[in-house]
Amino acid sequence: MKQQALQHFDMPWLPVSALILFVICFIIYFWWTYRSQNKNFFQQMAEIPLVDEVKHKRNLYE
Amino acid sequence: MSSNQMRTGKPETFTYDDEIVKKFVIATLLWGAVALLLGVTIAFQLAEWRFNFEIPWLTFGRLRPLHTNAAIFAFCGNAIFAGIYYSHQRLLKSRLFSDVLSKVHFWGWQLIIVSAALTLPFGITTGKEYAELEWPIDILITVIWVVFAVNFFGTIIRRRERHIYVAIWFYIATIITVAVLHIVNSLEFPVSFTKSYSLYAGVQDALVQWWYGHNAVAFFLTTPFLGLMYYFIPKAVNRPVYSYRLSIIHFWSLVFIYIWAGPHHLLYTTLPEWAQTLGMVFSVMLWMPSWGGMINGLMTLRGVWNKVRTEPSVRFMATAVTFYGMATFEGPLLSIKSVNAIAHFTDWIPGHVHSGTIGWNYMLISGILFYLVPKLWNTELYSKKLAHQQFWLATFGLVLYIVSMWVAGITQSLMWRAMDDAGRLIYPNFIETVIKIVPMYWVRAIGGTSVLISFIIMMYNFYRTIKQASVKEETIYEAYALDASSIEAHASAHRKLEGVPMIFSVLSLIAILVGSGIEIIPSLLADKYIVKVSAIKPYTPLELHGRDIYIKEGCYTCHSQTVRPMAHEVVRYGKASNAAEFVYDHPFQWGSKRTGPDLARAGGKYPHMWHYKHFWDPREMTAGSIMPRYHWLFDQKLPYTGIPAKMRVMQKLGVPYTDQQIASSIDDAKAQAKTIADELAQSGVPAKLAEMEIVSLIAYIQRLGIDYGSVPDEPAQEEK
Ligand code: HEC
Repeated sequence: MKQQALQHFDMPWLPVSALILFVICFIIYFWWTYRSQNKNFFQQMAEIPLVDEVKHKRNLYE
Repeated sequence: MSSNQMRTGKPETFTYDDEIVKKFVIATLLWGAVALLLGVTIAFQLAEWRFNFEIPWLTFGRLRPLHTNAAIFAFCGNAIFAGIYYSHQRLLKSRLFSDVLSKVHFWGWQLIIVSAALTLPFGITTGKEYAELEWPIDILITVIWVVFAVNFFGTIIRRRERHIYVAIWFYIATIITVAVLHIVNSLEFPVSFTKSYSLYAGVQDALVQWWYGHNAVAFFLTTPFLGLMYYFIPKAVNRPVYSYRLSIIHFWSLVFIYIWAGPHHLLYTTLPEWAQTLGMVFSVMLWMPSWGGMINGLMTLRGVWNKVRTEPSVRFMATAVTFYGMATFEGPLLSIKSVNAIAHFTDWIPGHVHSGTIGWNYMLISGILFYLVPKLWNTELYSKKLAHQQFWLATFGLVLYIVSMWVAGITQSLMWRAMDDAGRLIYPNFIETVIKIVPMYWVRAIGGTSVLISFIIMMYNFYRTIKQASVKEETIYEAYALDASSIEAHASAHRKLEGVPMIFSVLSLIAILVGSGIEIIPSLLADKYIVKVSAIKPYTPLELHGRDIYIKEGCYTCHSQTVRPMAHEVVRYGKASNAAEFVYDHPFQWGSKRTGPDLARAGGKYPHMWHYKHFWDPREMTAGSIMPRYHWLFDQKLPYTGIPAKMRVMQKLGVPYTDQQIASSIDDAKAQAKTIADELAQSGVPAKLAEMEIVSLIAYIQRLGIDYGSVPDEPAQEEK
């Protein structure tokens, strides 16, 4: 009986197209990320959190 | 390193808004303690029913939603905002967009939490897990979330750092996805200021709910914390993330895959087979990016492992990442259908959840706070020793939790499914399987207490830390404003793209919408697919009210209402559930945990008198039961006059009540109540019972599964 209801739901093209879509996206961003051209850029990006451009401290009670 | 070397233009000086971060830190600590205290309370309630104190607003069914909401939205929510506001400003070299919006955000969020605390214990709830808050609060959440988003994106527009560091990508995905999830799942039709019905029904509602529920874990408890991990771990050890490239892969794979995984909560239900398979496949795929992220986090510590021993912040964060790896290994495992068949509805699932929420979220939050509090208050941590004691207590408590729930879950599941050669259940009485695992509930409660104590130690540690801070200093920063000189000469199109946050946001939005669309839209068209079964009729007015009591009392936190197509379940409960049974269920009540037995086929199983006595005191009917008493339903008057309004809303939502039925609903409800009360009166129950809420609950329970039960097993009766 449950199967009865489910047969009407059947749409296998959906998961398959989803999977294909995902794989394509994955290949694109993988390719982009690991292109050697981008290497320096990523190194520079990784440093962003470590650069705190401190100027000076001000004592609020002064 | 210094992207400013070749920069032209005027350097600007500015300060960061750390006051708002401090506020969120304090809120995190306060609500964290509340959330854990609630958790420990309900843990003891499962071990010993007397801890329900026989007070309506302290019973398990009401406090459990408060615990989950407090842990997710109050504790983790405030921590996320603290961490994001601290790191966002620094990563972009810009003060937050608006101090006023920050304050509105902070106080608005606290108001939401207080509203939750003032409604959930009093049974004001939508009955959808982790989305229990009623519609006025839902609207408030939306407004405050928009305030947060404006403040967040405004800061990006005003930034002085051209590039958007990966942590911010995670934040963006969080903000966008949570907005979509919250709005879609909270669509409901108000009956009154404190009551609404979900727009969706049955299978649809289940799918939308678990698409939401799962992604609340993904985009509230995971992506923002990963963003925080990518900022705070490098900061704490003062070295860049192990592989920035891996972090990008991590990000995109997570965003793409996570959104699909929701149906793994609904395996073996009446959800379409393909949607279940989709959920399972994508959940297993999730294992890859999750472990990529874990490796990235841990490898950032290479060469500085000694800090794990000496620095509380590093120790907590390293442990958090390890638990993240564990939980994200277990998750895909639990999504595999054959494992899920055993684990679902058992205590294994709360065990899994807590290795995430305590192991990953609590630990990471602690790590971040040990980094932040001394920095924000410009002082040293009061005691490293206390921090280490906290660490061991928390870890010990968590291990007790995970192990006890794992043992309880598997034990109970094996007992549920044990059958002899003749196809009979070896443990036909559900209670036998409960009594067996009560000792494990005690172990869990002790584990939880240990985690609570560890948290209190941290609060004390920070209290002393903050108290000893004396000099108030403000740091002034300097950086170049963005102009043409901040773009590298040969930047590729992709890099420019990455520098345009709006386009980026749109891309992440598309990623999640595609996944959500493919998953949800077919079920929204479900009316066309579900084969209607004519025998299945809407609830009577009295049953409808009884159903609201069921929701109000949080019965769904202990009982499921869906029979999986497995031999042992069919023998124990009755026919496997059918999608057509739930078409009038706004909201669905399938539940997620069987602390008590499934109720989908409860109708007619016992006489009214059995339920009457059982709700008065479950132990009268079932020795050893851990179900709370519901004695207040015996002297609360049934508000008959409110029924027509409920039916009218249901009618608008597509339930085929006629105007005639609505017009006579009060009389019909009274008549049905009277038949139940009359039957009970024969056993000596006072006749006034017909006016009390308990009759409506009995009426509802007695209806469950009746219509579908009348349908012969062969689908000959079906009509389109
Ligand atoms: C703390 C968990 C918990 C909560 C909350 C809870 N129950 Fe139960 N319930 C149980 C357990 C355990 C049993 C099995 C032992 C027994 O019969 O009491 C049970 C049994 C039942 C049974 C008998 C089922 C059968 O087939 O024998 C019914 C009916 C029931 N509960 C209804 C409710 C309703 C309605 C509510 C909300 C008002 C509720 N329960 C709340 C734990 C709970």
